[in-house]
Parts: sequence; C-alpha cells; structure tokens
Amino acid sequence: MLEINNLNVKLKNSDKEILKDLSLLIKPGEVHAIMGPNGTGKSTLSKAIMGHYNYEVTSGKIKFMGEDISSLDVSDRAKKGIFLCMQDPTVIDGVSNSEFIRTAKSEIINEKVNLYTFIKDMESAMDDLSLNKNMLHRSLNKGFSGGEKKKNEILQLKVLKPKFIILDELDSGLDVDSLRIVCKNINDYLEENKDTSVLIITHYPRILEYIKPNYVHILNDGNIKYTGDMKLALEIEKNGYSMINEMIGNGVNE
Amino acid sequence: MSKILYILDNNEKKDYQYSIKEDTIIYHFSINSSSKVSINLDSENVELKYYYNNINYDNNQFNLEVNHLASNTKSYVFNHGVNVGSSKLNYFINGVVLKTSSGCICDQENQIINMSNGKSNISPNLLIDNYDVISNHSAYIGKFRDEVLFYLMSRGISRNESYRLLLNGFLINNDVEKERILPFIEEIKNI
Repeated sequence: MLEINNLNVKLKNSDKEILKDLSLLIKPGEVHAIMGPNGTGKSTLSKAIMGHYNYEVTSGKIKFMGEDISSLDVSDRAKKGIFLCMQDPTVIDGVSNSEFIRTAKSEIINEKVNLYTFIKDMESAMDDLSLNKNMLHRSLNKGFSGGEKKKNEILQLKVLKPKFIILDELDSGLDVDSLRIVCKNINDYLEENKDTSVLIITHYPRILEYIKPNYVHILNDGNIKYTGDMKLALEIEKNGYSMINEMIGNGVNE
Repeated sequence: MSKILYILDNNEKKDYQYSIKEDTIIYHFSINSSSKVSINLDSENVELKYYYNNINYDNNQFNLEVNHLASNTKSYVFNHGVNVGSSKLNYFINGVVLKTSSGCICDQENQIINMSNGKSNISPNLLIDNYDVISNHSAYIGKFRDEVLFYLMSRGISRNESYRLLLNGFLINNDVEKERILPFIEEIKNI
C-alpha cells in the first residue's frame, strides 16, 4: 500500500533535515503506529506523505499503491486515497462544512453528488459520531470544540472513503467518551474496508488500546530506531522513551 | 426584525448617505467600483450591520463613515475585498463616536485578499470622543493562508476549486438573497 524508501525531508528555506533515510512498508489492511518523543519528526512524516508545502523531499521515494507520489500535489494524493486526519484541523470562515465535504466528495469520485443522497449519508454518519446536525451548516471547524473538530475529521473520512488513513495525534483534545466513539467509527470503517491501511502517530499508547496496531515503530532523530508490537507501546508507557536509547545502545533491532 | 438594504455597484462611482432610525443590515456588493458611504445613527439604541464585499480590477477606493450621533447605538462593519491583478485598492473606514454618545459599540473588521501583486491599503480609524464605548478594529491584507489551501486540497479539492470555495465564502454572506446579487456571483467566477 505505502512504501517509503530512504526518505530525507527538510523544511523549505532551511538546511535542517528532519527525516533522515527513513524507510517504512505498510501492506494493505495493516495498522502501524509511530511513536516518539516531541520533535523527532512524527508529524513531518505525516505531512510529507500528504505533500505539505512546507516540506521538501531531498531524496528517497514515497510510493503509494506502486506509484511514486513524491511529485504529486496535495489534492492528487488525496484523490488517490490518502487521508490525513489532522492534529489541529484548520478553521475556514465562510465555507460551510456541508459545502466543503460535498465538494470534496464530488472531486474524489469525479462526478456531481446527488444532494438528497449526500444529506442522507451525512445524517447517518453524524448519528454514528453523535454529532449535532447543525454542524453541517456552520463554517468549517469554526467554533467547534476540540472533540467536534476530531469527530468532523472522521465524518469526512467516512464520506470520502480513503484507502490509507493517517491519524496524527487523534487523541489530543478528545475526552475518553469521544475517543471511544471516534475509534469505534474507525474500526467499523476498517471492518467494512479490509484493505484499508492506517498509520497512527501518537505520543501515548491509549489510542492503540482501541485501534490495535500490527506494528509499533519508535521514531527518533528522524528515523525509525526500533520496531515491535503493542507490547513495545506499553513498555514505553511504563519506562519512557529513554529505554529505547538503551536498547539502541545495545544494538537491538536497529 | 432588522430592515435590510442591498446595494450593488457595477463599474461606477457613487456616494450614499443614510440616516438610520431602526435596526438595519446593509449588504453592499461592489464590482470594480469606488464609493463613498456616510451613515448617521440618529436614534438611541439602533443597531447597524454593514457588509461590504468588493471585487477590484483597477484603481478604486471605498470610504465609509459611521457616525454615532445618539447614545447606545451599535455598529458592526465587515469589509471584505479581493484585489485582482496589479490593481490598487484603498479602504478608509471611520467609526466616529461623539462626546455626547454614551454606551455605544463601534466595531469594524477589514480584510483585503491580494490575488497577485496588487497594492492595497486599509485605514481602520476609530475616532472616539466618549469614555463609555466598546470599540474594536482589525485589518488584514494578504493572500489566503497556505494552511487553509492545504486543508482543502488534502481532501481532494483541486487548487482552483479550493479558491472558488474560499472566494465564495469570503465574498458572499450566508444570509443574503442570492438572486439580488447575481451579477456579483457571476463576477466571482472571473477572478
């Protein structure tokens, strides 16, 4: 599904490399988690995959379903089926939530979306997420609480039906009940779309209790230093990231 | 219920004067025009909401003066412009509260989006001569933020379609009767 080979990424207008020779292979249907301390390049990785304008790939390749997407623009990557659930969704005053999602849907399927079907689908998805239906008519993310913003991201996911989902710190700003609802919706989506893959970016293992990863990677200094499974995430919660440094020092799994 | 007025200027220069005696909403749409608007809030407790939406191609200016001539009057002014090409666009926005007018609210928010290398200027003036007044002003000149474009495009919306959404959202208020401003809506497609 997603194949990253020796990826080096830097901020535009800066010489500082953030991702250094990073490689990662995610097969269809797999869930991978990337964990790591602050400032190690986790969010940079998600934005580089999506094609964010602030980052420049200096070498290496990002392949999605066999195709090199490194030179594609952001909307073309999304049309191919990549969805980035953002850590802090952007507020856009004046653009209504419904108009935004309907436009995105029609761009992705490349045909006009029937209004009646669209509203029925949206209302059903909003019920699943316990979202108030008046949010459809409000400006995009304007005045939304942290939980509403994250639920609105998942609402878009349910409507746009991506093949590869990046969850960038999904649990930030979510209370326990909202996190449970959001994760249930993601799990239901994965159950219905078995080939869909997920990349979870997180500091804490709490979200991984709801969305079970096949692999957990530890990112440090712009590269994956260690790979394990859920047990690794729980170990980190218990002992902190310093334990990884000790393991790397011992030459384990690098 | 507020009284609602529509103004649509299309390639012209015009002056307007209003004396407001009841709560009023004015939607002012302007295509490549200059206008000078003077509004007096004459009666106590009246409220004005003024929405100016403007597309500019040449060298134009918009002058708005809201005079709070009575106590407890409120004005909320929102000026949104899109400056296309290398044209010049100037806003002179004055909120005036007299010494004899207490308990007023005098707010203004101004934004001009430069689509390329146009020159824009906003003078957001508050001329307040009374201590018992709430007053705010803001001014932004620039392009649509990159972060906003990234968000829209990350959902599969092309750059052109993203701009269309942003321009419509920026220039057309949710509550307007669209059939009254059809030439303006058509003009947005030409930006």
